[in-house]
Amino acid sequence: MSLADKFNKMKRGFDFGQALEEADRCLLCLDPPCSKGCPADTDPGTFIRKLRFKNITGAIRTIKENNILGGACGILCPVDRLCEKECSAQFKSKSTPDGSAQAIQIGKIQRFLVEHAWERDFKVFSQPDSINQKVAVVGSGPGGLSCAAELAKVGIQVTVFEAKPEPGGVLRYGVNSFRFENEFLEKELGEIKSLGVQFKCNTKIENRAAAENLLKEGYSAVFLAPGLWQSAQLNAKQSAIKGLFGSVDYLSALRDGRLEAMGQQVKGKSVAVIGGGAVAMDCITSALKLGAEDVYLIYRRSFVQMPAEREERLESLEEGAHFLLLNQPVDYLTDGNNQLIGVKLLHTKLGKPDESGRRRPVNIEGSEWELDIDIVVEAIGNQAEQESKEWYPNVETSENNLIKINPETGETSVPGIFAGGDIVRGPALVVNAVQDGKIAARSIQKYLAK
Amino acid sequence: MSQKAIDLSIEFCGVKFNNPFLLSSSPVSNSAEMVEKAYEAGWSGVMFKTLNSDRIPIIHPSPRMNSFHYGNKRLVGLQNVEQISDRPLKDNLLDFLYLKKKYPDRVLISSIMGFSNDEWEYLAKVSEDNGADMLELNFSCPHMAVEGTGHHVGKAFDLIEKFTATAKKAVSIPIIAKMTPNITDMTEPAIYAKRGGADAISAINTVSGISEIGLDDLVPKPNIFGIGAVSGTSGPAIKPIGLHFIADMAKCQELNLPLSGIGGIETWIDALEYILLGSSTIQVTTGIIHHGYRIVEDMIEGLTDFMREKGIDKVEDLVGKALNNLVTTDHFNLERQGIAQYDEDRCVGCGQCVIVCDDAGGQALEWDSNKRIPKLNENKCLSCMICSFVCPVNDLITFKEMESGWQRQETAVMEPTIASELKFSPYHTKE
Repeated sequence: MSLADKFNKMKRGFDFGQALEEADRCLLCLDPPCSKGCPADTDPGTFIRKLRFKNITGAIRTIKENNILGGACGILCPVDRLCEKECSAQFKSKSTPDGSAQAIQIGKIQRFLVEHAWERDFKVFSQPDSINQKVAVVGSGPGGLSCAAELAKVGIQVTVFEAKPEPGGVLRYGVNSFRFENEFLEKELGEIKSLGVQFKCNTKIENRAAAENLLKEGYSAVFLAPGLWQSAQLNAKQSAIKGLFGSVDYLSALRDGRLEAMGQQVKGKSVAVIGGGAVAMDCITSALKLGAEDVYLIYRRSFVQMPAEREERLESLEEGAHFLLLNQPVDYLTDGNNQLIGVKLLHTKLGKPDESGRRRPVNIEGSEWELDIDIVVEAIGNQAEQESKEWYPNVETSENNLIKINPETGETSVPGIFAGGDIVRGPALVVNAVQDGKIAARSIQKYLAK
Repeated sequence: MSQKAIDLSIEFCGVKFNNPFLLSSSPVSNSAEMVEKAYEAGWSGVMFKTLNSDRIPIIHPSPRMNSFHYGNKRLVGLQNVEQISDRPLKDNLLDFLYLKKKYPDRVLISSIMGFSNDEWEYLAKVSEDNGADMLELNFSCPHMAVEGTGHHVGKAFDLIEKFTATAKKAVSIPIIAKMTPNITDMTEPAIYAKRGGADAISAINTVSGISEIGLDDLVPKPNIFGIGAVSGTSGPAIKPIGLHFIADMAKCQELNLPLSGIGGIETWIDALEYILLGSSTIQVTTGIIHHGYRIVEDMIEGLTDFMREKGIDKVEDLVGKALNNLVTTDHFNLERQGIAQYDEDRCVGCGQCVIVCDDAGGQALEWDSNKRIPKLNENKCLSCMICSFVCPVNDLITFKEMESGWQRQETAVMEPTIASELKFSPYHTKE
């Protein structure tokens, strides 16, 4: 099997029978906790009820009207922290506090319904009559797509500017294709395009004030959702080390035509991924697929503090990753050619909880040890590109270059410019960006009506 | 402590059965090869698939059956357009000989259906001559299109009497008449069968029904190349109908015949319910179509343990034991009233009870959305108990009797202030 074959396809989702069976297990709650748990108001309580009563087209409509990226969210959401968290079907009660059954697999039902719509060619939206108003969206990630679709639904002419060759943002360049495949992405994007949204790819809004200038170029409003495309670094001096990658570059390489090259670089090697979130898991599982001999995860806290979903964590263990928990990388070791040969680590122990509520890792002095490593991927968070502030100099930002907004409306400090997604929140979920896009779209419509 | 041996055997029309569990006449009793497996699994007897005299060849429609699912639950009902046996009579009789030789302690009952007096007589005789221990007269197959056959006979009571008498005259073995449920009162045709000489009644055959319609082609299922038909529904969904007809006949003093219960039996509990309402034997098909002959193992073990726990020696002592508790609704004591009670600690917070109480009950529940827990206003509870039926936690909601003198709050009117607009005087009889 070629590398491309290994990477191209996701695992199959529920079929019709499995989805109906899962919906049948749903307790059809009054006041459903799953619906309260969805940051984008996708409303699982309603779409599962609709599926249960065989109103399958209605179920699809609920998802898509609430969340234009319902398919992506169904696959990528950490559902055990969101909709599935308080599911009554877990049978938690005072007498069985841990619950004695599984939550309804809402994400999987959601994905099924979205795929089912494509299979039977059921379309929720028809292209509305266009109205004479133009809005620019900067960035075609989840936030930008959500906002664009919401505006296009009412006939507003939306142009999405994308720096990369293809639209999708993190959905394309920030996640493994075997976790979220191109074919699926293209279908979901197709729905947005069919609403009349125009995409201008390979078009980075990067010159000084370029984003603000869109307002002078015929666009009545601008939505900024460029995302975070720079990997945070353990220390700034290290960039020239050969064999050291940031997760942003590493993951996009697997999807922008550099897969084979990456395969040659990783195959048979010892790889370490630093971090404990979903991105780190993506880096691990892809390194294993690329044929790395050993893949280590280096994480400074313990297993339960890892932000990645439990299922993903367990899966990467099952696939053969070695978890080096309670270890803090402190330095990289290189040879004369500045080629990475190892990483220096300190053991840690857990202290008192920090502001995130998780117990803080404390270095154990004198516990230093070295691990031979050929390649390191740092997956310790994404940040705004250094120069991003230049693109919108009048828009108020925080010290780490995140844009400040009114969270109720998505408005920035500049009238007519709105923002959402990771550039506002810092690293967050697809579903959060979807909601930001929806909120901003509503405000933009109000703004345009003035 | 050694456990007391329990004997499940029972006598039915003077014939001894090792247990009360039989195959009904259907695809599951189509040949000796199948029946042999059933015997090995533990079934005490078989109503062999209804014999045909070869006068008219039987060809089965294709496909023969359709499933009736409910949500996750498969086959709560089964729809079939099955005909009587399509095998040559000679082959069926040869299988009779084989089964009686190899399994002399199992009861072989020949189900027959004639198209004329002669034919009934012929089939009865040839069955007895080849080892049948009893006859079951099929007055109830819902798919025979010819007038004067199948359930058409079951609805023409004089024909029941006539054909029963013909069979009775032809043989010396006991005769069971099998009834169709597609009538209102089964005691009437059963009494006609008795007058004709029937020794027992079996009921019910399948209930006439339509299980599903294809939404693309608008054809009822099973879809026989573009058309469908009203046909027989069986399975767990029809158990209440079967129990009702058995109880009616068991209570009918004029009838006073042994009964063989059929309809939706899958477990020992289903079987026991039929027995408690007056059946001495019970028959199963759809349960086997769904799960195979093996289910009899659990029927035998389950009934045995139940009898041991309750200290009952003979199945016979259970027959009709619930009939005294079965009355008509006018006998109820309306002085005693109760309500639903909740074990809140086991509540999982789904709130379905609140939905159904609001929309179909007494609006007696309030929802605490913070704690996600229902709160009962006892005075408004109708004791319909629907909350307990939808609750996903077993026995979280149970019935509790209230002390005598407790009064339920009357259902309030929406707008008492518009009473002046009412056009109303209380009803008085005109005598």
